[in-house]
Amino acid sequence: MENRPNQNVFWRDKFGLRAVIILAVAVLFISVSGAFAFEKKSIFLPGETSEGHHLFEASCASCHEGFKPVSNENCNRCHEAELEGDLHGATKFKDPRWASFRENVDVLTCTACHSEHIHMFGRGVHLQPDLCMACHEELTLTQLKSHEGFAADGCWTAGCHNYHEHDTISTGFFRENMGAPDMLPVQQLPDRVVTTELDAAPAPNLSKEFLEGQS
Amino acid sequence: MTFRSARLLPFVIVLFCVGCLLIAPAFPAIAATQAEVEEITQQWQTGAHALNDVNCASCHQAEETKAFVASPNQESCQSCHESAVETFLLGKHGIRTLEGESPLTPAMARIPMKHDAFDKQLSCNACHDVHTVNTMQASVESCLTCHNDNHSLNYENSKHAQGVLSSSLPRPGAAQVTCATCHLPRTATKKTDGTVVVKVNHNNTYTLKPRNRMVGEVCMNCHGVEYSYNSIFDDELVEANFDRPPTLEHESFELMRAAEQRRSGNASASQEDSE
Repeated sequence: MENRPNQNVFWRDKFGLRAVIILAVAVLFISVSGAFAFEKKSIFLPGETSEGHHLFEASCASCHEGFKPVSNENCNRCHEAELEGDLHGATKFKDPRWASFRENVDVLTCTACHSEHIHMFGRGVHLQPDLCMACHEELTLTQLKSHEGFAADGCWTAGCHNYHEHDTISTGFFRENMGAPDMLPVQQLPDRVVTTELDAAPAPNLSKEFLEGQS
Repeated sequence: MTFRSARLLPFVIVLFCVGCLLIAPAFPAIAATQAEVEEITQQWQTGAHALNDVNCASCHQAEETKAFVASPNQESCQSCHESAVETFLLGKHGIRTLEGESPLTPAMARIPMKHDAFDKQLSCNACHDVHTVNTMQASVESCLTCHNDNHSLNYENSKHAQGVLSSSLPRPGAAQVTCATCHLPRTATKKTDGTVVVKVNHNNTYTLKPRNRMVGEVCMNCHGVEYSYNSIFDDELVEANFDRPPTLEHESFELMRAAEQRRSGNASASQEDSE
Protein backbone atom coordinates (compact mmCIF):
# COMPACT_ATOMS: atom_id res chain seq x y z
CA MET A 1 0.00 0.00 0.00
CA GLU A 2 2.69 2.43 0.99
CA ASN A 3 4.43 1.92 -2.31
CA ARG A 4 1.39 2.99 -4.34
CA PRO A 5 2.24 6.11 -6.34
CA ASN A 6 0.32 9.12 -5.08
CA GLN A 7 -1.36 10.97 -7.92
CA ASN A 8 -1.32 14.33 -6.14
CA VAL A 9 2.40 14.12 -5.68
CA PHE A 10 2.79 13.18 -9.33
CA TRP A 11 0.86 16.38 -10.35
CA ARG A 12 2.85 18.53 -8.01
CA ASP A 13 6.11 17.23 -9.40
CA LYS A 14 5.03 17.97 -12.91
CA PHE A 15 3.15 21.33 -12.69
CA GLY A 16 3.53 22.60 -9.17
CA LEU A 17 0.55 23.17 -6.83
CA ARG A 18 0.37 26.85 -7.64
CA ALA A 19 -0.09 26.17 -11.35
CA VAL A 20 -2.89 23.69 -10.63
CA ILE A 21 -4.73 26.21 -8.46
CA ILE A 22 -4.33 28.98 -11.04
CA LEU A 23 -5.61 26.64 -13.74
CA ALA A 24 -8.63 25.64 -11.63
CA VAL A 25 -9.51 29.28 -10.91
CA ALA A 26 -9.11 30.12 -14.60
CA VAL A 27 -11.43 27.27 -15.64
CA LEU A 28 -14.01 28.40 -13.07
CA PHE A 29 -13.75 32.02 -14.23
CA ILE A 30 -14.09 31.07 -17.89
CA SER A 31 -17.13 28.86 -17.29
CA VAL A 32 -18.89 31.46 -15.12
CA SER A 33 -18.25 34.31 -17.54
CA GLY A 34 -19.11 32.00 -20.44
CA ALA A 35 -22.44 31.21 -18.78
CA PHE A 36 -23.21 34.94 -18.61
CA ALA A 37 -21.90 35.67 -22.11
CA PHE A 38 -23.88 32.87 -23.78
CA GLU A 39 -27.04 33.41 -21.71
CA LYS A 40 -26.76 29.98 -20.10
CA LYS A 41 -27.43 31.18 -16.60
CA SER A 42 -29.49 28.07 -15.84
CA ILE A 43 -26.25 26.33 -14.85
CA PHE A 44 -26.34 28.39 -11.66
CA LEU A 45 -29.70 26.96 -10.56
CA PRO A 46 -29.18 25.08 -7.33
CA GLY A 47 -32.25 22.85 -7.70
CA GLU A 48 -35.65 22.35 -9.29
CA THR A 49 -37.57 25.62 -9.73
CA SER A 50 -41.24 25.73 -8.75
CA GLU A 51 -44.12 25.29 -11.16
CA GLY A 52 -44.76 28.96 -11.85
CA HIS A 53 -41.24 30.30 -11.74
CA HIS A 54 -39.50 27.73 -13.93
CA LEU A 55 -40.57 29.60 -17.05
CA PHE A 56 -38.19 32.45 -16.29
CA GLU A 57 -35.71 30.65 -14.06
CA ALA A 58 -32.74 31.80 -16.13
CA SER A 59 -33.67 35.43 -15.49
CA CYS A 60 -31.93 35.54 -12.08
CA ALA A 61 -32.36 39.30 -11.70
CA SER A 62 -36.15 38.91 -11.79
CA CYS A 63 -35.96 37.86 -8.13
CA HIS A 64 -32.36 38.27 -7.01
CA GLU A 65 -30.57 41.49 -6.49
CA GLY A 66 -26.98 40.32 -6.33
CA PHE A 67 -26.57 37.99 -3.38
CA LYS A 68 -29.07 39.81 -1.16
CA PRO A 69 -32.01 37.81 0.20
CA VAL A 70 -35.13 37.94 -1.98
CA SER A 71 -37.30 40.79 -0.70
CA ASN A 72 -41.07 40.98 -0.19
CA GLU A 73 -41.14 43.87 -2.69
CA ASN A 74 -39.80 41.54 -5.30
CA CYS A 75 -42.49 38.92 -4.71
CA ASN A 76 -45.15 41.62 -4.67
CA ARG A 77 -44.17 42.83 -8.13
CA CYS A 78 -46.23 39.92 -9.43
CA HIS A 79 -48.22 38.60 -6.48
CA GLU A 80 -49.98 41.69 -5.21
CA ALA A 81 -53.38 40.58 -6.49
CA GLU A 82 -53.19 37.22 -4.72
CA LEU A 83 -52.41 38.85 -1.39
CA GLU A 84 -54.97 41.63 -1.61
CA GLY A 85 -57.54 40.00 0.65
CA ASP A 86 -55.07 38.17 2.88
CA LEU A 87 -56.59 37.91 6.37
CA HIS A 88 -53.51 36.13 7.62
CA GLY A 89 -51.16 38.91 6.53
CA ALA A 90 -49.41 42.07 7.67
CA THR A 91 -52.51 43.72 9.17
CA LYS A 92 -53.09 40.78 11.48
CA PHE A 93 -49.53 40.21 12.60
CA LYS A 94 -48.73 43.86 13.20
CA ASP A 95 -51.68 43.92 15.61
CA PRO A 96 -50.27 43.57 19.18
CA ARG A 97 -52.71 40.73 19.85
CA TRP A 98 -51.01 38.52 17.29
CA ALA A 99 -47.57 40.08 16.97
CA SER A 100 -45.92 37.61 19.36
CA PHE A 101 -46.58 34.79 16.89
CA ARG A 102 -43.95 36.35 14.66
CA GLU A 103 -41.41 34.82 17.03
CA ASN A 104 -42.50 31.35 15.90
CA VAL A 105 -42.37 32.16 12.21
CA ASP A 106 -41.39 35.48 10.67
CA VAL A 107 -44.73 35.58 8.84
CA LEU A 108 -44.17 39.06 7.44
CA THR A 109 -41.31 37.83 5.25
CA CYS A 110 -42.39 35.76 2.24
CA THR A 111 -39.21 33.68 2.20
CA ALA A 112 -39.64 32.61 5.83
CA CYS A 113 -42.14 30.03 4.56
CA HIS A 114 -41.69 29.92 0.79
CA SER A 115 -38.50 28.37 -0.50
CA GLU A 116 -37.43 28.29 -4.12
CA HIS A 117 -35.10 25.87 -5.92
CA ILE A 118 -35.72 23.24 -3.26
CA HIS A 119 -38.53 20.76 -3.50
CA MET A 120 -40.62 20.21 -0.41
CA PHE A 121 -44.24 20.29 -1.41
CA GLY A 122 -45.54 21.88 -4.57
CA ARG A 123 -47.85 24.81 -3.95
CA GLY A 124 -46.60 27.79 -5.85
CA VAL A 125 -43.19 28.15 -4.28
CA HIS A 126 -42.36 25.18 -2.15
CA LEU A 127 -43.62 24.94 1.40
CA GLN A 128 -42.97 22.74 4.37
CA PRO A 129 -46.12 20.58 4.62
CA ASP A 130 -46.44 20.85 8.43
CA LEU A 131 -45.83 24.59 8.52
CA CYS A 132 -49.13 25.36 10.33
CA MET A 133 -47.86 23.51 13.40
CA ALA A 134 -45.43 26.33 14.17
CA CYS A 135 -48.40 28.18 15.69
CA HIS A 136 -51.45 25.90 15.58
CA GLU A 137 -50.14 22.66 17.07
CA GLU A 138 -51.56 23.06 20.51
CA LEU A 139 -54.94 24.32 19.38
CA THR A 140 -55.43 21.77 16.65
CA LEU A 141 -53.94 18.57 17.91
CA THR A 142 -54.90 18.76 21.57
CA GLN A 143 -57.90 21.05 21.99
CA LEU A 144 -59.93 20.40 18.86
CA LYS A 145 -61.75 17.09 19.39
CA SER A 146 -62.94 17.06 15.80
CA HIS A 147 -59.34 17.05 14.56
CA GLU A 148 -58.14 14.20 16.78
CA GLY A 149 -55.79 11.87 14.95
CA PHE A 150 -55.26 14.24 12.03
CA ALA A 151 -51.76 14.34 10.57
CA ALA A 152 -49.67 17.43 11.25
CA ASP A 153 -48.85 17.81 7.56
CA GLY A 154 -52.44 17.54 6.32
CA CYS A 155 -53.95 20.96 7.12
CA TRP A 156 -53.52 22.42 3.68
CA THR A 157 -52.12 19.52 1.69
CA ALA A 158 -55.53 17.83 2.05
CA GLY A 159 -57.23 20.93 0.66
CA CYS A 160 -59.04 21.93 3.86
CA HIS A 161 -57.18 25.07 4.92
CA ASN A 162 -55.32 27.77 3.15
CA TYR A 163 -53.04 30.29 4.78
CA HIS A 164 -53.42 33.31 2.50
CA GLU A 165 -56.63 32.38 0.71
CA HIS A 166 -58.79 31.94 3.78
CA ASP A 167 -62.01 33.65 2.81
CA THR A 168 -63.36 30.97 0.44
CA ILE A 169 -62.50 28.01 2.65
CA SER A 170 -63.18 29.30 6.16
CA THR A 171 -65.84 27.88 8.50
CA GLY A 172 -67.71 31.17 8.19
CA PHE A 173 -67.80 30.88 4.41
CA PHE A 174 -68.97 27.27 4.59
CA ARG A 175 -71.61 28.08 7.18
CA GLU A 176 -72.97 30.83 4.98
CA ASN A 177 -72.97 28.83 1.76
CA MET A 178 -73.55 25.21 2.74
CA GLY A 179 -76.76 23.54 1.74
CA ALA A 180 -77.02 25.38 -1.57
CA PRO A 181 -78.22 23.23 -4.49
CA ASP A 182 -75.73 21.80 -7.02
CA MET A 183 -76.91 24.33 -9.56
CA LEU A 184 -77.69 27.72 -8.06
CA PRO A 185 -81.17 29.09 -8.89
CA VAL A 186 -79.59 31.94 -10.83
CA GLN A 187 -76.46 31.06 -12.75
CA GLN A 188 -74.91 34.28 -13.74
CA LEU A 189 -71.50 34.87 -15.23
CA PRO A 190 -70.49 38.48 -15.78
CA ASP A 191 -71.51 39.44 -19.31
CA ARG A 192 -69.23 41.43 -21.50
CA VAL A 193 -71.00 44.16 -23.41
CA VAL A 194 -69.16 45.75 -26.28
CA THR A 195 -70.52 49.10 -27.28
CA THR A 196 -69.89 50.71 -30.66
CA GLU A 197 -69.42 54.37 -31.46
CA LEU A 198 -70.02 54.24 -35.19
CA ASP A 199 -72.87 52.80 -37.24
CA ALA A 200 -70.59 51.78 -40.07
CA ALA A 201 -66.89 51.10 -40.39
CA PRO A 202 -64.74 54.02 -41.55
CA ALA A 203 -62.55 53.70 -44.64
CA PRO A 204 -59.25 51.98 -43.87
CA ASN A 205 -56.53 54.61 -43.39
CA LEU A 206 -53.58 52.45 -44.47
CA SER A 207 -53.39 50.11 -47.45
CA LYS A 208 -50.33 50.26 -49.69
CA GLU A 209 -48.10 50.11 -46.59
CA PHE A 210 -49.23 46.51 -46.03
CA LEU A 211 -48.19 45.53 -49.55
CA GLU A 212 -44.79 47.02 -49.07
CA GLY A 213 -44.47 45.51 -45.63
CA GLN A 214 -41.55 46.06 -43.36
CA SER A 215 -38.25 44.27 -42.94
CA MET B 1 -22.05 29.77 -73.92
CA THR B 2 -18.94 31.41 -75.20
CA PHE B 3 -15.71 31.39 -73.21
CA ARG B 4 -15.92 35.13 -72.73
CA SER B 5 -19.39 35.18 -71.20
CA ALA B 6 -18.53 32.18 -68.99
CA ARG B 7 -15.69 34.17 -67.49
CA LEU B 8 -18.06 37.04 -66.79
CA LEU B 9 -20.58 34.78 -65.02
CA PRO B 10 -19.04 35.07 -61.50
CA PHE B 11 -19.07 38.86 -61.78
CA VAL B 12 -22.69 38.82 -62.90
CA ILE B 13 -23.63 36.65 -59.94
CA VAL B 14 -21.77 38.88 -57.49
CA LEU B 15 -23.31 42.00 -59.02
CA PHE B 16 -26.78 40.43 -58.76
CA CYS B 17 -26.28 39.56 -55.09
CA VAL B 18 -24.95 43.01 -54.20
CA GLY B 19 -27.80 44.61 -56.10
CA CYS B 20 -30.36 42.50 -54.27
CA LEU B 21 -28.87 43.46 -50.91
CA LEU B 22 -28.98 47.11 -51.84
CA ILE B 23 -32.59 47.18 -52.94
CA ALA B 24 -33.78 44.68 -50.29
CA PRO B 25 -34.97 47.36 -47.85
CA ALA B 26 -37.42 48.54 -50.49
CA PHE B 27 -38.94 45.04 -50.77
CA PRO B 28 -39.10 43.90 -47.17
CA ALA B 29 -39.67 40.41 -45.89
CA ILE B 30 -43.13 40.83 -44.35
CA ALA B 31 -45.43 42.00 -47.10
CA ALA B 32 -49.04 41.08 -47.64
CA THR B 33 -50.70 40.35 -50.96
CA GLN B 34 -53.56 42.50 -52.24
CA ALA B 35 -55.98 39.63 -51.60
CA GLU B 36 -54.80 39.26 -48.00
CA VAL B 37 -55.19 42.96 -47.32
CA GLU B 38 -58.72 42.89 -48.80
CA GLU B 39 -59.70 39.89 -46.67
CA ILE B 40 -58.31 41.41 -43.49
CA THR B 41 -59.97 44.75 -44.24
CA GLN B 42 -63.30 42.98 -44.59
CA GLN B 43 -62.81 41.15 -41.28
CA TRP B 44 -61.88 44.39 -39.57
CA GLN B 45 -64.88 46.27 -41.02
CA THR B 46 -67.41 44.01 -39.31
CA GLY B 47 -65.57 43.85 -36.00
CA ALA B 48 -65.73 45.91 -32.83
CA HIS B 49 -62.48 47.70 -33.58
CA ALA B 50 -63.72 49.35 -36.79
CA LEU B 51 -67.05 50.31 -35.24
CA ASN B 52 -65.15 52.06 -32.47
CA ASP B 53 -63.03 53.98 -34.93
CA VAL B 54 -59.91 51.93 -34.30
CA ASN B 55 -58.42 52.11 -37.77
CA CYS B 56 -55.38 50.46 -39.39
CA ALA B 57 -53.01 53.23 -38.32
CA SER B 58 -54.17 52.98 -34.70
CA CYS B 59 -52.10 49.81 -34.41
CA HIS B 60 -49.93 49.68 -37.54
CA GLN B 61 -48.35 53.11 -37.20
CA ALA B 62 -45.96 54.31 -34.50
CA GLU B 63 -47.59 57.16 -32.65
CA GLU B 64 -44.60 59.50 -32.68
CA THR B 65 -42.51 58.64 -35.72
CA LYS B 66 -45.51 57.64 -37.89
CA ALA B 67 -43.38 54.72 -39.09
CA PHE B 68 -45.27 51.68 -40.38
CA VAL B 69 -45.46 48.74 -37.94
CA ALA B 70 -46.04 45.40 -39.69
CA SER B 71 -46.54 43.29 -36.55
CA PRO B 72 -47.76 45.34 -33.59
CA ASN B 73 -47.05 43.78 -30.20
CA GLN B 74 -48.68 43.94 -26.77
CA GLU B 75 -47.52 47.50 -26.23
CA SER B 76 -49.82 48.59 -29.02
CA CYS B 77 -52.76 46.67 -27.53
CA GLN B 78 -51.96 48.05 -24.09
CA SER B 79 -52.66 51.63 -25.15
CA CYS B 80 -56.38 50.73 -25.01
CA HIS B 81 -56.56 47.36 -23.24
CA GLU B 82 -54.49 48.34 -20.24
CA SER B 83 -55.64 45.85 -17.64
CA ALA B 84 -55.84 42.96 -20.12
CA VAL B 85 -52.16 43.33 -21.01
CA GLU B 86 -51.12 44.09 -17.44
CA THR B 87 -52.73 40.90 -16.17
CA PHE B 88 -51.46 38.88 -19.17
CA LEU B 89 -47.89 39.84 -18.27
CA LEU B 90 -48.32 38.55 -14.71
CA GLY B 91 -49.52 35.08 -15.69
CA LYS B 92 -47.50 32.18 -17.08
CA HIS B 93 -48.29 33.20 -20.65
CA GLY B 94 -46.75 36.64 -20.35
CA ILE B 95 -44.24 36.50 -17.51
CA ARG B 96 -41.22 35.88 -19.75
CA THR B 97 -42.09 38.95 -21.80
CA LEU B 98 -42.48 41.00 -18.60
CA GLU B 99 -39.06 39.85 -17.45
CA GLY B 100 -37.39 40.81 -20.71
CA GLU B 101 -36.89 37.21 -21.87
CA SER B 102 -37.94 35.85 -25.27
CA PRO B 103 -41.73 35.22 -25.35
CA LEU B 104 -43.00 31.92 -23.95
CA THR B 105 -43.29 29.03 -26.40
CA PRO B 106 -45.24 25.81 -25.71
CA ALA B 107 -41.92 23.92 -25.99
CA MET B 108 -40.91 25.40 -22.62
CA ALA B 109 -43.95 24.03 -20.78
CA ARG B 110 -43.86 21.15 -18.29
CA ILE B 111 -47.42 20.11 -19.16
CA PRO B 112 -48.27 18.33 -22.45
CA MET B 113 -48.41 20.62 -25.49
CA LYS B 114 -49.10 19.95 -29.18
CA HIS B 115 -45.92 19.37 -31.17
CA ASP B 116 -47.14 21.46 -34.10
CA ALA B 117 -47.40 24.46 -31.82
CA PHE B 118 -44.06 24.05 -30.05
CA ASP B 119 -42.50 27.17 -31.54
CA LYS B 120 -45.53 29.46 -31.34
CA GLN B 121 -44.67 32.63 -29.42
CA LEU B 122 -47.11 33.85 -26.82
CA SER B 123 -48.39 37.37 -27.38
CA CYS B 124 -51.85 38.92 -27.62
CA ASN B 125 -52.39 37.76 -31.17
CA ALA B 126 -51.17 34.24 -30.45
CA CYS B 127 -54.69 33.73 -29.07
CA HIS B 128 -56.71 36.66 -30.43
CA ASP B 129 -57.63 37.25 -34.02
CA VAL B 130 -57.25 40.99 -33.69
CA HIS B 131 -58.98 41.76 -36.99
CA THR B 132 -62.22 39.83 -36.47
CA VAL B 133 -62.12 40.46 -32.70
CA ASN B 134 -63.89 37.12 -32.30
CA THR B 135 -63.25 36.26 -28.68
CA MET B 136 -65.23 33.02 -28.95
CA GLN B 137 -62.26 31.62 -30.82
CA ALA B 138 -59.85 33.04 -28.25
CA SER B 139 -61.83 31.30 -25.49
CA VAL B 140 -61.56 27.69 -26.67
CA GLU B 141 -59.99 27.07 -30.07
CA SER B 142 -56.91 29.13 -29.34
CA CYS B 143 -56.25 27.23 -26.11
CA LEU B 144 -56.56 23.89 -27.87
CA THR B 145 -54.07 24.98 -30.53
CA CYS B 146 -51.32 24.40 -27.95
CA HIS B 147 -52.67 22.59 -24.88
CA ASN B 148 -52.63 18.81 -25.18
CA ASP B 149 -53.27 17.55 -21.64
CA ASN B 150 -56.28 15.37 -20.81
CA HIS B 151 -58.23 18.11 -19.04
CA SER B 152 -58.03 20.30 -22.14
CA LEU B 153 -58.70 17.50 -24.61
CA ASN B 154 -61.74 16.35 -22.60
CA TYR B 155 -63.37 19.78 -22.73
CA GLU B 156 -65.64 18.72 -25.59
CA ASN B 157 -67.05 15.90 -23.36
CA SER B 158 -67.81 18.33 -20.57
CA LYS B 159 -71.29 19.61 -19.88
CA HIS B 160 -69.64 23.02 -19.87
CA ALA B 161 -68.99 22.71 -23.62
CA GLN B 162 -72.66 22.41 -24.50
CA GLY B 163 -73.76 25.33 -26.60
CA VAL B 164 -70.21 26.59 -26.90
CA LEU B 165 -68.64 24.58 -29.70
CA SER B 166 -71.64 25.18 -31.99
CA SER B 167 -71.96 28.86 -31.10
CA SER B 168 -71.76 31.50 -33.78
CA LEU B 169 -71.61 34.45 -31.38
CA PRO B 170 -68.63 36.80 -31.62
CA ARG B 171 -67.95 36.45 -27.89
CA PRO B 172 -69.06 34.03 -25.16
CA GLY B 173 -72.43 34.91 -23.66
CA ALA B 174 -73.22 34.95 -19.94
CA ALA B 175 -74.43 31.34 -20.05
CA GLN B 176 -71.52 29.84 -21.98
CA VAL B 177 -68.68 28.18 -20.11
CA THR B 178 -65.50 28.21 -22.14
CA CYS B 179 -61.88 27.53 -21.14
CA ALA B 180 -61.52 31.25 -20.50
CA THR B 181 -64.59 31.37 -18.22
CA CYS B 182 -62.62 29.52 -15.58
CA HIS B 183 -58.99 30.24 -16.47
CA LEU B 184 -59.20 33.83 -17.69
CA PRO B 185 -62.38 34.83 -15.93
CA ARG B 186 -64.40 37.98 -16.32
CA THR B 187 -64.45 40.15 -13.25
CA ALA B 188 -67.07 42.75 -12.58
CA THR B 189 -66.08 45.85 -10.65
CA LYS B 190 -68.36 48.67 -9.67
CA LYS B 191 -67.05 52.13 -10.39
CA THR B 192 -67.70 55.09 -8.11
CA ASP B 193 -70.50 56.33 -10.40
CA GLY B 194 -72.28 53.00 -9.95
CA THR B 195 -71.58 51.60 -13.42
CA VAL B 196 -70.28 48.06 -13.57
CA VAL B 197 -67.18 47.40 -15.64
CA VAL B 198 -66.52 43.82 -16.73
CA LYS B 199 -62.92 43.02 -17.53
CA VAL B 200 -61.14 39.81 -18.40
CA ASN B 201 -58.38 38.79 -16.02
CA HIS B 202 -55.67 37.58 -18.40
CA ASN B 203 -53.45 36.34 -15.55
CA ASN B 204 -54.08 32.67 -16.29
CA THR B 205 -52.26 31.62 -13.12
CA TYR B 206 -54.50 33.59 -10.76
CA THR B 207 -57.49 31.25 -10.67
CA LEU B 208 -55.48 28.08 -11.22
CA LYS B 209 -54.24 27.44 -7.69
CA PRO B 210 -55.15 27.26 -4.87
CA ARG B 211 -58.25 25.46 -6.04
CA ASN B 212 -60.48 27.20 -3.52
CA ARG B 213 -59.72 30.51 -5.21
CA MET B 214 -61.23 29.15 -8.41
CA VAL B 215 -64.25 27.93 -6.43
CA GLY B 216 -64.86 31.40 -5.01
CA GLU B 217 -64.05 33.35 -8.15
CA VAL B 218 -65.56 31.09 -10.77
CA CYS B 219 -67.45 27.90 -9.83
CA MET B 220 -69.80 29.59 -7.37
CA ASN B 221 -71.20 31.84 -10.07
CA CYS B 222 -73.30 28.81 -10.99
CA HIS B 223 -72.74 25.96 -8.50
CA GLY B 224 -73.30 25.45 -4.78
CA VAL B 225 -70.23 25.33 -2.54
CA GLU B 226 -70.34 21.59 -1.82
CA TYR B 227 -70.82 20.64 -5.46
CA SER B 228 -67.90 22.92 -6.35
CA TYR B 229 -65.45 21.58 -3.75
CA ASN B 230 -66.43 17.96 -4.35
CA SER B 231 -65.71 18.46 -8.05
CA ILE B 232 -62.53 20.48 -8.01
CA PHE B 233 -60.74 18.35 -5.39
CA ASP B 234 -61.41 15.14 -7.35
CA ASP B 235 -58.32 14.88 -9.56
CA GLU B 236 -59.95 12.27 -11.81
CA LEU B 237 -62.99 14.43 -12.38
CA VAL B 238 -60.78 17.43 -13.15
CA GLU B 239 -58.87 15.35 -15.70
CA ALA B 240 -62.16 14.22 -17.24
CA ASN B 241 -63.15 17.90 -17.39
CA PHE B 242 -66.24 17.43 -15.20
CA ASP B 243 -68.03 15.01 -17.50
CA ARG B 244 -70.24 13.72 -14.64
CA PRO B 245 -71.56 15.00 -11.29
CA PRO B 246 -69.09 14.68 -8.38
CA THR B 247 -68.95 11.59 -6.18
CA LEU B 248 -66.29 12.84 -3.77
CA GLU B 249 -67.38 13.88 -0.31
CA HIS B 250 -64.97 16.52 0.91
CA GLU B 251 -64.38 15.86 4.60
CA SER B 252 -64.59 19.54 5.50
CA PHE B 253 -68.36 19.50 5.01
CA GLU B 254 -68.84 16.47 7.25
CA LEU B 255 -66.81 18.25 9.96
CA MET B 256 -68.80 21.43 9.44
CA ARG B 257 -72.12 19.62 9.75
CA ALA B 258 -70.96 17.92 12.96
CA ALA B 259 -69.83 21.30 14.31
CA GLU B 260 -73.16 22.90 13.41
CA GLN B 261 -75.03 20.08 15.12
CA ARG B 262 -72.94 20.50 18.28
CA ARG B 263 -73.60 24.21 18.13
CA SER B 264 -77.36 23.89 17.80
CA GLY B 265 -77.34 20.96 20.29
CA ASN B 266 -75.56 23.10 22.84
CA ALA B 267 -77.89 25.95 22.14
CA SER B 268 -81.00 23.87 22.73
CA ALA B 269 -79.42 22.20 25.79
CA SER B 270 -78.69 25.55 27.39
CA GLN B 271 -82.19 26.65 26.52
CA GLU B 272 -83.56 23.63 28.39
CA ASP B 273 -81.32 24.45 31.35
CA SER B 274 -82.69 27.92 31.62
CA GLU B 275 -86.26 26.75 31.52
